[in-house]
Amino acid sequence: MAITTRSLLDVERLTISYEVNKRWIPAVRDFHLRLRPGQIVGLVGESGSGKSTIALALMRYLSGNGRVESGGLLRFAGEDLLRKSDAEMRRLWAKRVKFVPQNAGAALNPSIKIGPQVAEALKAADAIDGDAAYDTMMRVFHDVRLADPERVAERYPHELSGGMQQRVTIAMALISNPELLIMDEPTTGLDVTTEAAILDLVRGLIAERGTGVIYISHNLGVIAQLCERVVVLYAGEIMEEAPVLDLFQAPRHPYTLGLISSVPKPGQSKRAAPLQSIAGNPPALTRLPGGCVFAERCAWAIDICRDKRPPLEQLADKRAVRCHRWEELSQPHPPTPSPRHQMPAIEIAGRGTTKPIRRPAPDAKSATEQAKSPSIAMGGDLEGGWQADETLLRADNLNKAFPVPRSLRELLARTAPSPIRAVDGVDLHLRAGRTLGLVGESGSGKTTLARLIIGLEERSGGKLELLGMDVRNHVRDRSQDVLSKIQMVFQNPQNSLNPYLSVRQAIRRPLIKLRRFSPAEADAEALALLARVNLRPEYADRYPDELSGGEKQRVAIARAFASDPDLIICDEPVSALDVSVQSAVLNLLAALQDEHGSAYLFISHNLSVVGYLADTIAVMYLGQLVEVGEARELFQAPYHPYSEALVSAIPVADPRHSTARILLSDDLPSAQNLPSGCRFHTRCPRKIGEICEREEPPWRPGDRGHLIRCHIPLEELTSLQSGSNPLEKAD
Amino acid sequence: MLLFLRRRFLFFFFTYLLSSLTIFFLLRVLPGDPARVIAGGREATEDQIAEIRAELGLNASLPEQYVNWLGNFLGGQWGDTIAFRGANNYDLIIERSVNSARLAAVALLMSVPLSLALGVIAGLFENKLPDILISLLTLSVVSLPEFVTGLFLINIVSLRWGRGELAQSLGWWFPASSAVPANASFGEMLPALWLPAVAATLTLLAYISRLTRAGVIEELKRDYVRTAALKGIPWRAVIWRHVLRNALLPTITVIAISISWLISGLVVIEYVFGFPGLGSLLIAAIERRDLLLAQAIAMVTVTVILFANLAADVAYALLNPRVELA
Amino acid sequence: MAEDKPGQAGDFSRVIVALQGMISAQLRHPQSAAGTLAVAFFLLLALFGPQLAPYPKANDQRHDPRVPPTLDIGAFQLGEHPFGTDRLGRDVYSRVILGAGSIFRIAGLGTLISVLAGSALGLFMGYQGGWVDEVLGRVIDALLAIPALLLALVLVGIIRNLQFEAGSWQAALADNVILLVISLLYIPIVARVARSTTLDIKTREFVEAAEIRGESKFYIIFREILPSVAPSLVVEASLRFSYAIFLVASLGFLGFGARPPSPDWGLMVNENRGGFYQLTPWALEFPALAIAILVIAVNLMSDGIRRAVQKGA
Repeated sequence: MAITTRSLLDVERLTISYEVNKRWIPAVRDFHLRLRPGQIVGLVGESGSGKSTIALALMRYLSGNGRVESGGLLRFAGEDLLRKSDAEMRRLWAKRVKFVPQNAGAALNPSIKIGPQVAEALKAADAIDGDAAYDTMMRVFHDVRLADPERVAERYPHELSGGMQQRVTIAMALISNPELLIMDEPTTGLDVTTEAAILDLVRGLIAERGTGVIYISHNLGVIAQLCERVVVLYAGEIMEEAPVLDLFQAPRHPYTLGLISSVPKPGQSKRAAPLQSIAGNPPALTRLPGGCVFAERCAWAIDICRDKRPPLEQLADKRAVRCHRWEELSQPHPPTPSPRHQMPAIEIAGRGTTKPIRRPAPDAKSATEQAKSPSIAMGGDLEGGWQADETLLRADNLNKAFPVPRSLRELLARTAPSPIRAVDGVDLHLRAGRTLGLVGESGSGKTTLARLIIGLEERSGGKLELLGMDVRNHVRDRSQDVLSKIQMVFQNPQNSLNPYLSVRQAIRRPLIKLRRFSPAEADAEALALLARVNLRPEYADRYPDELSGGEKQRVAIARAFASDPDLIICDEPVSALDVSVQSAVLNLLAALQDEHGSAYLFISHNLSVVGYLADTIAVMYLGQLVEVGEARELFQAPYHPYSEALVSAIPVADPRHSTARILLSDDLPSAQNLPSGCRFHTRCPRKIGEICEREEPPWRPGDRGHLIRCHIPLEELTSLQSGSNPLEKAD
Repeated sequence: MLLFLRRRFLFFFFTYLLSSLTIFFLLRVLPGDPARVIAGGREATEDQIAEIRAELGLNASLPEQYVNWLGNFLGGQWGDTIAFRGANNYDLIIERSVNSARLAAVALLMSVPLSLALGVIAGLFENKLPDILISLLTLSVVSLPEFVTGLFLINIVSLRWGRGELAQSLGWWFPASSAVPANASFGEMLPALWLPAVAATLTLLAYISRLTRAGVIEELKRDYVRTAALKGIPWRAVIWRHVLRNALLPTITVIAISISWLISGLVVIEYVFGFPGLGSLLIAAIERRDLLLAQAIAMVTVTVILFANLAADVAYALLNPRVELA
Repeated sequence: MAEDKPGQAGDFSRVIVALQGMISAQLRHPQSAAGTLAVAFFLLLALFGPQLAPYPKANDQRHDPRVPPTLDIGAFQLGEHPFGTDRLGRDVYSRVILGAGSIFRIAGLGTLISVLAGSALGLFMGYQGGWVDEVLGRVIDALLAIPALLLALVLVGIIRNLQFEAGSWQAALADNVILLVISLLYIPIVARVARSTTLDIKTREFVEAAEIRGESKFYIIFREILPSVAPSLVVEASLRFSYAIFLVASLGFLGFGARPPSPDWGLMVNENRGGFYQLTPWALEFPALAIAILVIAVNLMSDGIRRAVQKGA
């Protein structure tokens, strides 16, 4: 098979090292890969797995402190790339081998217009210039579905949206009709809706052109949706390689299994079961274990795993796996994992000792509400029916407008520019002990809303009540009582802990400040809090730079819980974490909520994550809520057309799953210049006519307090959307 | 863009106002009486002081004095020189400014291309031999105080080497002193200019080349440099089109800022070489207690510096497409 | 406010660990190690000058004038007057040793004062933001538009000519006019650096975490932000020190620093230039060399500090 098929790229025994402090550290070891023309192979791994290093090594573009160790083989279309001179490589880069980077915004030269930048690539590839070049460029811009290509060519990179910038880099790569394309996380950092559009584009373009693609991603969903074969990397080694269906249906390696099951599927909820997760952290490259690199975190590790490095075994069905025990594990009745490593168990062990676990539903105070109404109700005419008795936080018509400095013309005309309306009339009721999920694209105003509630941003208008008390505008004006009742977990664990304070100091401070503990009491309580976030007591004396991302986030969670708050605002708390760590933090958040009865306002761009943790979900678009309802209802018709697009764009980590995606244009209208009528009408695929542009849509109530803000009646929405429910297909 | 320019111009006026206030109050608010200082400090008689007080309008209220003073300055009415009998501050300063400007221009012409080249080379060879040599050079010889290098140039280069046969046969003139007549033409002045200009060049070299180096190193790490290289265009083109273009843009601002440096350096250099410029005039003015002259010189300098900064920012804005957002 | 006693030592212990790392990095790099050692050598001269100098009186004119240097490097011999004597019969070697004291005292104290005051101002401006920051920022810009040396000359020129009662605070101020000038000149510069670093740190989420537990402004500035700003302040301090040395030497040379017969290096250079140089070149060359070596050493040291801090960041 392998002999008859012409292979485009052959990689064998590739080892790549980096020089750190005069020592060469092998960051990638013994890497193998084979790629046929027209094939898309995915490279999936967490941070530190070496996937970007591989991408650059395949391009022969390692930085000065990196090198490919001798003994490896890197062959492109029969030619040995490792022996090529710089000039020969340059010719390959110009024409046959192309690279699409992550973060297109940084990958385009900010001081050159798009047109000349793309033309430069074309000139290097085919030595064409002038009109012919322009025509080719327009054609490729059209192929990557850049709206208005002539104008795009005249723009500078910073004048384009992130999605458009990424389309430009793809156009730049495709313009020479390359044989090999290496894409390094091209959709990371983009909104789901944009990501979906780009993935569709890549899939289509590759099918047309027969280009071989190596697609690198940390996102299993993206890989499942796009790739034919998948290579799973961990700590610089291949753990498993398989065709995509086999990999997701029957993973052979414990790491792959752990990875797949730690991603929440759309519609999966904390009520059903805690997420699987992988204990521990990846090993440091400077101190690799002698045996299997994954042994330390593996639930099935036995002595041989710790002593002897397993070989990459080629299996019969075009698969390969690096595990001593893969055969045993793939039996119908696999051996049971060691209890220490059953992550759900360890999560529960950490929290269940002092208090009984309380699930939200049987809980006395929420049971009554459960039957009655959702925790969120909108103002206005609907008010009467939606009074919830255990209202913790109530926001009425919350507004935030950021002023814009006047331009010269406005100064002369004595008119004021319209401000940026980041949050525009949001009503929220949050009930005690429950989780409200807030979703929306970047720029929807969800973070601003959270910051208004916590008081880091001053609201321009509206009212905020906590347990019936009026809440002052800015955090500095708030009483200790209010401060201790609302806390926050931030997005970036890197920045949320002061690098110069130890873990103990970080947790003690709120205890002393907000709960008026004596230093001795605070010390004891700090240790108790650490235990509750599943960190051993010795962590108390560590500093943030000695912690992994997940551990930092646990400390940040412990700090937030220190004042025993009623409400914790979680702003994208897991989005900066690796998949295997993410699920442990989500489980922890769910467990702590059971224990403390705190409510969460949980913000995320990841619908599956929000769906997993939230009881109620609010969808936000351009400063307004457009849909509110119970979590499972978000994944069922009727949807608001915007929610529908968001749900359909989720990259589901299951290759069998396919959706008719509802693609939205990349351009979110400016919050300074909001569309009239329904804010979504400029992008809405279900727009019914002029009414959408003219009138603000009404809130339409559905079952069980589900509310949708749309001109289309709900029954009609249901019938329009029932044919395309992505989740029904997945089930 | 317009927004940026408007903001920048407002800043300019505000800063100018504040700088002039600072200069004004230096002579008014400090403990003591400016009239007494001008009259000769401790030895002055009360009558002399009262006379000067009346002459300078010091009996008016402070804001009034300030407005009058600034108005006079802007109108070119800078008063009579006390330090040199019979001269007029305006004429004296203009004449000396022209000389200093000539010296500065020669220094800039020499130092800017040289320091940009050194900075770019050091940046491209980060932590390699050329970089280490350049950084040693800029940290040591080049960053010595101007009077040390100036005296070296005079006493060693000019007096010792300049008398040597080689220098004599080359016919190049090594002036031990640059004390040319203040009203000499540029051509007449040139032989006397170049040695002080070398000293002034050294002042700027370290500063500009170091910032250039940092800019080049920063740009080389950018993603778009990788993008450009992976387009398969020659490395030379990557450096010119992508690295240097972005790295050298901010040096416009750097050069403008370095003018303030240069002016400080020129004060010392003109004094060492006896060159009839604004700097040596300033020292003479202060030595002879002519505070009005010193004040006027300070105002002229500040005006030059602020205009240079403004011009650099405007040029930067015009050349940089990203500024529009600011 | 409940005070957080046991934790207090820990807050800055991390800063100290970072500083130790910096010092060891400093010593590994040959250039910066040489610079640091040379600065340490001059510091010893400054501290123990009167003990080390053969003739510790500043204006000791009892020697033969115009004696050439007796220093013989090849033979490791100092001789009677290693650097010779000047035209007034003063031992140049002793005067150079004694001169280290004043330059270190003025430059060091000036740096210390300006870094302390400038950091406090910059931290406050950066954290406070708003119109306070805007106005102070403009004032700083205006001050910085006036070249440092020019401002120094004008200030010294004015203050020198004022008459004060002996023993009054104004007189004390006038006696330390260079110190005052250096502090005044460098406070805005340090403040600007501290401000911009603070602006960066302020947006970090740990500062917001402190805000949402209601910490005072004082606590946030000094306990949360300062440790992270400290490394760049250390770099700035070393840079300021090198400029201060430069400025003190230049002012001394221009005749606006120490007054004769002080053994100030800049002043010594100025007193022996021109026609006197032909007569006693060594009386100019040795103090000039001392200035040159000290400036280069401080530059190498501060460059090493900058490199170490940037690497650590």
